[in-house]
Amino acid sequence: MNSFQPFYNRKIGVVDLSASKAEVIPLVQKQVSRHIGGAAMNSAILEGYQDDALVFGTGPLTGSFAPASSLMIASFASLVFNSICHVPFMLRTGPDMKFSGIDYLVVKGTAPERSILHVNHGKIRTLPAGNLQHMHIPEAIRELKKASPLFQSVIITGPAADRGIPFASVSIGTNGSLDKAGLASLMAAKNLKGIMLGGTEGLPFNRDNPQQGKELEKIISTDKNFKHRGFYSVLKKLEGGEEAGKFLKASGEKDMACYHCPSPCMTHVRYSWHDPRKKEMQNSKEGLLLLDHTGYAALAEKVGKNILPVLRACLHYGLDPAAVAEKLSEGGTMLEYLNAIDKIISDNPPQTTDVSQRQCLFGGGLPPILTGDVLEKKVAIAMILGVCPIFLLRFAQITDATLLSFISTSEEDLTTLQEGLSSAISSL
Amino acid sequence: MTEQDFSLNLEDLRPRPAEKKHLSEYFMPPRHSFIIFHPDKCTGCGACEMICSTRNTGKVAPVSASVKVIRDEKEGKNFSILCQHCRKPLCLPACPTRAIEKGDDGIVRIDKLFCTQCGICAMACPAAAPIKDPCSQEIHKCDLCEGDPLCVKHCPENALTFTRGKALRWIKGLRWTSQFISFLLLVVVFIGTFCYFRTGSISFACPTGTLQNIASSGTIVLVGVSSTLALLILTVLAGRLFCGWVCPFGFVLDLVDKVTPKKIGWPSFLKSRMTKYGVLTGAVGGSYALGFQVFCTVCPIGTLCRSYGVQSFFKSAELAIVPALASLEIAQRRSWCRYFCPVGAVLGLTALLRMIKIIIGAKKCKKFSCIQCAEVCPVGIIDADKLREGLSPKIPMTECIMCMRCIDRCPYDAAKIRFRWQKAAPGEGRT
Repeated sequence: MNSFQPFYNRKIGVVDLSASKAEVIPLVQKQVSRHIGGAAMNSAILEGYQDDALVFGTGPLTGSFAPASSLMIASFASLVFNSICHVPFMLRTGPDMKFSGIDYLVVKGTAPERSILHVNHGKIRTLPAGNLQHMHIPEAIRELKKASPLFQSVIITGPAADRGIPFASVSIGTNGSLDKAGLASLMAAKNLKGIMLGGTEGLPFNRDNPQQGKELEKIISTDKNFKHRGFYSVLKKLEGGEEAGKFLKASGEKDMACYHCPSPCMTHVRYSWHDPRKKEMQNSKEGLLLLDHTGYAALAEKVGKNILPVLRACLHYGLDPAAVAEKLSEGGTMLEYLNAIDKIISDNPPQTTDVSQRQCLFGGGLPPILTGDVLEKKVAIAMILGVCPIFLLRFAQITDATLLSFISTSEEDLTTLQEGLSSAISSL
Repeated sequence: MTEQDFSLNLEDLRPRPAEKKHLSEYFMPPRHSFIIFHPDKCTGCGACEMICSTRNTGKVAPVSASVKVIRDEKEGKNFSILCQHCRKPLCLPACPTRAIEKGDDGIVRIDKLFCTQCGICAMACPAAAPIKDPCSQEIHKCDLCEGDPLCVKHCPENALTFTRGKALRWIKGLRWTSQFISFLLLVVVFIGTFCYFRTGSISFACPTGTLQNIASSGTIVLVGVSSTLALLILTVLAGRLFCGWVCPFGFVLDLVDKVTPKKIGWPSFLKSRMTKYGVLTGAVGGSYALGFQVFCTVCPIGTLCRSYGVQSFFKSAELAIVPALASLEIAQRRSWCRYFCPVGAVLGLTALLRMIKIIIGAKKCKKFSCIQCAEVCPVGIIDADKLREGLSPKIPMTECIMCMRCIDRCPYDAAKIRFRWQKAAPGEGRT
């Protein structure tokens, strides 16, 4: 079946950090037919490498006309949960990886010095990143923009990972991510600071039918979830989310969407605050893109109205807000919270956290807005096809059949795809 | 035959089309099609880039699109970069191979055959709308999908809307009609009535003339003062509406401006709007000293109303004043009104008590890529630099002649009349 042809570059990039070598190997059609893509394909690739390998992958629909086709998945053996974890990355990371000319990226070995990868035009380069060590994430990104080749997206680790804190979290740009499974720590252990995605190429996908996405949008537009959008719409479905949402009354709010998503679940908030550690009494205005619903809810439960500045501090250090919440106590002042976060960063040996109570459902950061098998199946479909799992959880109308029709509309192909998808889901 | 006879230059190969303007275009300008971007609606999903790149290159490659969405992560704002198909595109004269043309339909297109991908058009464009494809090195620029833009259809938030421009500028039509009728009445039919007019118990007088009268005679005649009230009340209610809609000399200046579109400029040392207040003070002081209304003898409005009527034609030496002062128009639009007119000075002072104001909401407008309001303002009071910075310019209403050209021209409905006490500009929430 050649239905996948316009959906992939058919390239796997393999980087050996120890040898500072990168090669590109072909993505075999047989593999695609069997595993479809995304998390299932990542797992299959991961089997061929050593335990410490790390695979970044996209699904067939990533970057396509399918709605919310923004997903990139990182798969690795998590030291936090002692199992294979698949962390979803949204915003524009998935399409930018695909448009950088490779579908999957395997990172193995450990670099002799702090390095950052640059992927573009189907080629991978290893660049030194020693100067970014211990820099706040926004500062590091500013440096990258100044000194590095052009890139559209970047995933990067912060000072928390540099110091070996187990609950460090990878950040997409300056916005944080849903990584709660120790990906950042693993990257730091490999001396890998981040990955820059050039994203300057393209793929044809189902170009003859670009209207298909628009038609699906019409169908979901009748759903009440379509009207209730933004960060709060998802947050309020979580335990304690409605209470946490009260602190969102910032000066300016704007809903933001990931790549080709018709129903945004992120919100940009602007707030004014005074850093109690500074002598100047002047308030400064800050902006924050909220995308981690579970992290926000956990942190808001502890720090209450101080949530936005505290969350900002977590994101600057590259810390998982949910894990930080476990370290903080209720009823503190802003100064106490900020000092506690500074202490987390400076403590030697690094603090640890108890994960026995946490679920490791695909990276641990996805909001459990459905329950049971439906949740797991929907997330698995999204993680294999390369569509945002939160989007899929919000709209019941979108089924696996609907999404597969973006790959092929032929009856025969659809049957094969359905079988392949079922097998891929069971392999996860 | 000499060698020179065979030489060809760019002018022979791609002659620049002559700028022709038909009379009808002054009143019904050709429509200006373009896409309006609503930043408040855009979520930055990039659907526009996807569909545009598919049309440009046959594949989904957002960097190859003719529209670009940029997200400001700190401010939480999205911006779009796309061609505005300007009336006078700067990319067009900048192109060294004349590959850019503006069609009769108003769409600015790049002829790929002649384009050498030098990128000078992108540098010349204030919005940097021509985008260089990092893969193919081609220059992509929006051509409005030949009148049916796909990005507009595919935007899930309706953050892009396609407009074919205003068909009829009704304010312009109304203003010219008002100016023409006022000219006819004041200059041809009721000659001299602008300076002083009385019928029964109703009287009207020029406020500057009244001030000079008081200074020269040393007495305040209540009837004379109350005669000026009509104009002053109009100014309090509607700003300097008289200057933009009624003044017969203003009408003459607007006509002269039409035949002298290119300006030679005004010396910077004379560019002080305070001069007119000096002229007013001089007129009042001179009248006091000399015992007669000195400025009235040279007032272009007065001479126009007194000397150019059917009866007075060719009878007065005052006739030379109007063309002499109107000739200032070749230096700058409404030069007289900006710097010298003492009637404007009195109305400007009265406008301090105005009830309305004109406001331009930078959040709603296209800022650097448009600034048509600043271009059309005859008295040059709209700060284009502020708009380029994304800030709403403060319009000095003492100088504004309320011609409403900015409102008429603005394609984004960003220029509005507001009550003086209303704070929010268009696009900045509730007023």
